[in-house]
Amino acid sequence: MPEVAHQLPLSRIEPAILEEAADWLTLLRSGEATDDDRSCLEHWRCQSDMHLAAWHRAESVLGTFSQVSAPVARGTLSQLESAGRRRALKTFALLLMAAPVSWVAYRQQPWREWQADFHTTIGEQQSFDLADGTRLVLNTATAVNVSFTDSVRSLTLLQGEILITTGKDPAPVARPFLVHTDHGQLRALGTRFTVHQLGDQTRLSVYDGAVEVAPHDAIGKVVVVAGEQRLFSSARIHPSELAVDNAELWEQGMLMASDMYLGDLVCELGRYRRGVLRCDPAVASLRVSGAFPVNDTDASLTLLQQTLPVQVSRITPWWVTLKAS
Amino acid sequence: MPGTELAHQAEIHTLYSDHHGWLQGWLRRKLGNHCDAADIAQDTFMRLLGGRRDTARLGEEPRALLTHIARCLVIDHWRRQDVERAYLETIAHLPEPEMPSPETRWLVLETLYRIEAMLRGLPHLTRQIFLLAQLDGMKYRQISDQLNISLPTVKRHMRKAFLACLSLE
Repeated sequence: MPEVAHQLPLSRIEPAILEEAADWLTLLRSGEATDDDRSCLEHWRCQSDMHLAAWHRAESVLGTFSQVSAPVARGTLSQLESAGRRRALKTFALLLMAAPVSWVAYRQQPWREWQADFHTTIGEQQSFDLADGTRLVLNTATAVNVSFTDSVRSLTLLQGEILITTGKDPAPVARPFLVHTDHGQLRALGTRFTVHQLGDQTRLSVYDGAVEVAPHDAIGKVVVVAGEQRLFSSARIHPSELAVDNAELWEQGMLMASDMYLGDLVCELGRYRRGVLRCDPAVASLRVSGAFPVNDTDASLTLLQQTLPVQVSRITPWWVTLKAS
Repeated sequence: MPGTELAHQAEIHTLYSDHHGWLQGWLRRKLGNHCDAADIAQDTFMRLLGGRRDTARLGEEPRALLTHIARCLVIDHWRRQDVERAYLETIAHLPEPEMPSPETRWLVLETLYRIEAMLRGLPHLTRQIFLLAQLDGMKYRQISDQLNISLPTVKRHMRKAFLACLSLE
């Protein structure tokens, strides 16, 4: 079957012809192209299959930009730019992995350097048993890099929330267990705790043992003990609050609300859901208590609708607003 | 030539049965997600099959090539997720009548993904000039006035950006 010109793959088009196509596009877009130019282009285009294919690509480039509204494209690109740094880190970590390393390989050569990264998508939770016996649970939309060496066990929380239950390290020499967030470093002192990276702060909740917090730009460290919860930014550590141990619940896919603002609950449910979930400010200050399934946020919304004077308004399945009923 | 075609298929079949399970396990650990791992493992083999690569050249280390392809697909997968997330955050701030229907959403995402891919790697100024022209519909003269650069400079950057767009796989 003869090959249709515009189906020529990129690799079969000479680079010089693409360069010429770029010249044509630049000229056409300038608004300075004359009728003569246009007939020249027509002539250029019909010279060969490669020219035809190159111009087909050119038309598809122009078409791409006309298919999306400027505010949407601009907004998306600038959101991407601000998220870019984290992604770059993660991609770099992936590229660093020259060869895949499995748990088995690690167990065969116990104290060699070991790296991995873990990732959950929205609405997903996963748990992992690390090589030192530590149990790591990733909540929704979370990314973690793990790096174990002879001298240190180190986790980097790139985004989201993790629950850590440290194991008894079988290494011959005790290795500190560190967690890095955007805002500081945590050192586990035999323990069970959650770390949640929020926009400009990290929230640490300790359920067993203790964790030492060292924000990046603050002098001094604070030890947070079992039952305590602390927010910290890179500059300071906030006063202690009571840690409510609901990590076990989120591990089982439940979200526990105890006299919680509806607005906060909706925001929390939104973490487990693709698309946009919003709460009308008119009802955001209602108080809610109860257990809500996070792996079925639609069921949670129905539950709210049944128990509170609110209604779920679905503009599309992925654009949902809670309003007064 | 059907003979070599068959031999190629047979090789792919062997490759698949020897390494598919291992690749999927590797991806699952990378992604922490069974479904995505299964999809990407499948895509990796499809890519290999479609690419008509000379499987004999895979040599002793077919897993090296498999992980190379899979790694590219994972990065692509993450980029798509990023674009989708950025898009959703963007439209969350738009007035509701501007909301696209679910049917057009997929098309818009594909388009945004292509635009992101075209612009990826371009210097900041080139990108800025190109977006002023293509998204905001500004004339070269207006761009040169706004950014206080010469008209030939605007054209040079436009050409560079168009060439990058044309060269996208």
